[in-house]
Amino acid sequence: MKAFDLVIIGGGPAGIAAAATAASHGLKVALIDERPTLGGQIYKRVGPGFTVKKASEVGKDYYLGEKLIAELDNLKVDIYFETLVATIEQSEVVVIQNGKSAERLSFRKLLISPGAYDRPVVFPGWTLPGVITAGAAQSLVKTQRVAPGSRIFFAGSGPLALAFPAQLSGYGANIVGIIEAAPRPGILKSIQIALSVLGNFDLLRDAAKYQLHLISNRIPMHYRRIIVRANGKNRVESVTHARVDKNWQVIPGTEKTVEVDALCIGYGFFPSVELFRLLGCELGYEESRGGTVVKLNEWGATSVANVFGAGDGTGISGSYVAIARGRLAALKIAAELGKISESSLSKLAAGFRKTLNRRVKFQSAINRAYEIKSGIYDLADDETIICRCESVKLESILPSLESTIDPSVVKAYTRCGMGLCQGRNCQRQISALIAKKQNIPISEITQATPRFPTKPIKLGQIADASIRDEKYFVDAE
Amino acid sequence: MLNSDFLAGYLSQSENFEELPKQSDVVIIGGGLLGTALSYYLATAGVEVTLLERNDLNREASGTNAGSFHFQIALHQLTENMTAADDKRLADETKLMLDAAKLWDEIEKELDADLGVHFTGGFMVAETQEEFQVLRDKQRIENVAGLETHVLTGNEMREFAPYLAPDLSGIAFCPREGHANPLLVGPTYAYRAHELGAKIRTNCEVIQIEQITGISGYRFKIHTSRGTILCNRVVNASGAWTAELSSQLGLNLPMALSGLHVNVTEPREFFLHSMVQHIGRRLTLKQTANNTFIIGGGWPSRAEKFPLRYSNIWESAAGNAAVAVRVLPMLKDVQLVRVWSGVWAYTNDFKPILGESEKIPGYHIAMVPTGFTLGPMVSKMLAEYMTQPGTQNLLPKEFHVDR
Ligand SMILES: Cc1cc2nc3c(=O)[nH]c(=O)nc-3n(C[C@H](O)[C@H](O)[C@H](O)COP(=O)(O)OP(=O)(O)OC[C@H]3O[C@@H](n4cnc5c(N)ncnc54)[C@H](O)[C@@H]3O)c2cc1C
Ligand SMILES: Cc1cc2nc3c(=O)[nH]c(=O)nc-3n(C[C@H](O)[C@H](O)[C@H](O)COP(=O)(O)OP(=O)(O)OC[C@H]3O[C@@H](n4cnc5c(N)ncnc54)[C@H](O)[C@@H]3O)c2cc1C
Repeated sequence: MKAFDLVIIGGGPAGIAAAATAASHGLKVALIDERPTLGGQIYKRVGPGFTVKKASEVGKDYYLGEKLIAELDNLKVDIYFETLVATIEQSEVVVIQNGKSAERLSFRKLLISPGAYDRPVVFPGWTLPGVITAGAAQSLVKTQRVAPGSRIFFAGSGPLALAFPAQLSGYGANIVGIIEAAPRPGILKSIQIALSVLGNFDLLRDAAKYQLHLISNRIPMHYRRIIVRANGKNRVESVTHARVDKNWQVIPGTEKTVEVDALCIGYGFFPSVELFRLLGCELGYEESRGGTVVKLNEWGATSVANVFGAGDGTGISGSYVAIARGRLAALKIAAELGKISESSLSKLAAGFRKTLNRRVKFQSAINRAYEIKSGIYDLADDETIICRCESVKLESILPSLESTIDPSVVKAYTRCGMGLCQGRNCQRQISALIAKKQNIPISEITQATPRFPTKPIKLGQIADASIRDEKYFVDAE
Repeated sequence: MLNSDFLAGYLSQSENFEELPKQSDVVIIGGGLLGTALSYYLATAGVEVTLLERNDLNREASGTNAGSFHFQIALHQLTENMTAADDKRLADETKLMLDAAKLWDEIEKELDADLGVHFTGGFMVAETQEEFQVLRDKQRIENVAGLETHVLTGNEMREFAPYLAPDLSGIAFCPREGHANPLLVGPTYAYRAHELGAKIRTNCEVIQIEQITGISGYRFKIHTSRGTILCNRVVNASGAWTAELSSQLGLNLPMALSGLHVNVTEPREFFLHSMVQHIGRRLTLKQTANNTFIIGGGWPSRAEKFPLRYSNIWESAAGNAAVAVRVLPMLKDVQLVRVWSGVWAYTNDFKPILGESEKIPGYHIAMVPTGFTLGPMVSKMLAEYMTQPGTQNLLPKEFHVDR
């Protein structure tokens, strides 16, 4: 078994920054990512068969990503590509490398930075071909240079709701409309955001740039409107949207329908907390950072000894925060393993901490301005599929909601959340349904018991014939 | 006929949260399959019965098992050197299985509910020649006891079950084996018992069982998280917690616990009608009505106490997967989606603990290791014992509480 001082799960901004910082202080580091390239979401590299001649031409993020990844060039970091972390046991991670059998890597310290995934939104027609998440659309464009359709409609909320279509349009895609659920930023909100903005001018500038791009390309944009339906027989042919009140409840009679062949949904992100839950790390709930978040101390340590977290996987805060958090965690780990002294730790950390505080302020102002509202959970009708893996409709779930506050019970009786995605798509919708029915806050609804594997894996890759079972019924302890 | 939508609505319905009655002839502790079945059989006999469950009904072993009927003689029943006495024991155990099979045959009619009961047969596979010999030996015992099994090898085996590994040394096939939906059976018993007047109370943890005298007719005062209740007879059906509660009364039960590991896969086109077990290794395997494969068979998980779940260990997933792929090679390309684990209580001789304590009259225990297969059956036996005076001999001696 290979042994490392530090194992990092996730090669996005948080993980790369942490790996570079830790390795530069002499730690033996493994950096693991299930994708074939580094970069995570925002710094995603182009796919095989593509080359980028000049990074700056593909966009600022691509360039920044290249710079960050280049930090690893002269450092010794064992990078495991196409490698899934299936589970974590005591001081070992169990990994599955593409096509191969499971293997274990041991660590003294662990940093988990698995990023976030797109928030799924359930509305009639959400499972029709042609309806995809905004992040998926972005990935298609970034890695394959493919637009998801020829008449693309964006529905979403938050600053990225503008960034995504602007980026796509920049690649020449035909965007026929954008709706944002939040109101057009008013003077008050702008001041609020501006106040937190010292040192964040680049971010504001980006936002302004995106907006300008959309305006100059005459892409229709409507505020205070939400997606209510995707229509079509075998794929999406049109979408219906409507005006909402401040809780995102649809105002009847305001529906409008647009012909489209692709609908991109971008209502924010969920932190990917699976590995933290498996380890029993203490969690919290913050709607504005994506719901379930991981409790971290100022250095990024979780409540479990030797386990750190950084980046959007611990709560949505954006790539700048992810990088700062990654570096701070790496420094602290280097100090705990005796590679730097306590006094140089605080010196080295000072700069990152300043960036962090600044960025966190900005990001929380943004997140609050675009916080998800309860109307998003009220779009399904009886016939709408809630669990797409198991094809469970709302009407078959309603009876079990009468009597329980436990999503596991709903799961047991309806198969909701038992399929391939293990509830990633439907779990929040179920929690919201229970919360509404029983009149309790969604933050108080428990989640299904965490279990491995983090993603589906072939039994042939898991099977290990060297493990014998001669003694029947031995206890594991 | 009851269906699952309806049951889901009943499960924690408000009546279950109503106050405890002040007293009851019988109090059952535990709302798993044994407790709920017993409440039904006692209620049909007109006994005043109250069932107390700490959590929701059916959330421990009875709601986390694979729902298989294991009627064939299996690995855990065998000893290193089988003697004539062992043959006799196995024959007796097989007869009990036959009674259970008959009960399962009739249960959907009896409870007027769809419980997903299917008799689709079960394989017991052998890899080595010694294992194949065991299949032949056990078949002899089973056939004498009246359980139909067939042993196949070579081309005959490959023709009968072409999907199994062609180089297995042989297989036994028992047409009577099958399965039911474990999520429905216990709650349905509870619902029918409730219709007959049994009081079902959930979210009610028994903290102490106190023996009392002086209040005529009552021998026990049960202290719970929701107050106290007097009763004349107690049945401890608390599964993995049976020993803990009994030790309060000075009883030392010959039982232990483990977490049990289960693997569940993505769905594949349905082809495997019968369950598969292994006579020499830990394996139970079947394809469900949802087309997924459920794979288990006794691999351990880490035992943790309530309210923690029993947590899975990778070695069990890997070892279990290896045996499964060895026996059913197509599985190597099927994806594992999730594992789970449940708490499992067993006795050192794998026999039930069933009946009334001689040391503490009125104190009963209902506990059995293969509790899905045998749960309804042993509960019915205990109910008969409790309702028909002079039926001491109904319960086999080997099951005695004070053994
Ligand atoms: C779809 C999407 C699109 C986005 N687009 C933008 C944008 O255009 N502009 C912007 O400013 N922000 C964007 N964001 C937000 C931005 O990507 C994040 O703020 C930033 O990437 C966070 O960095 P991170 O290191 O925390 O996670 P990520 O960049 O997501 O990196 C996490 C990495 O961990 C890997 N991983 C996760 N689990 C495992 C596992 N079990 N085993 C192995 N590897 C694993 C993943 O493959 C991934 O590469 C986007 C986010 C998402 C989800
Ligand atoms: C993973 C797994 C797979 C299995 N597969 C099979 C199979 O295929 N076939 C088969 O025949 N058997 C199988 N078994 C065994 C079978 O599930 C059990 O033997 C059976 O369910 C036991 O039922 P029970 O009612 O005794 O226990 P349980 O179902 O555990 O019920 C006990 C109940 O008592 C409650 N309780 C405990 N303490 C207290 C207290 N102080 N106060 C109030 N209530 C309390 C608990 O909450 C629980 O609900 C399997 C077991 C496991 C774990």
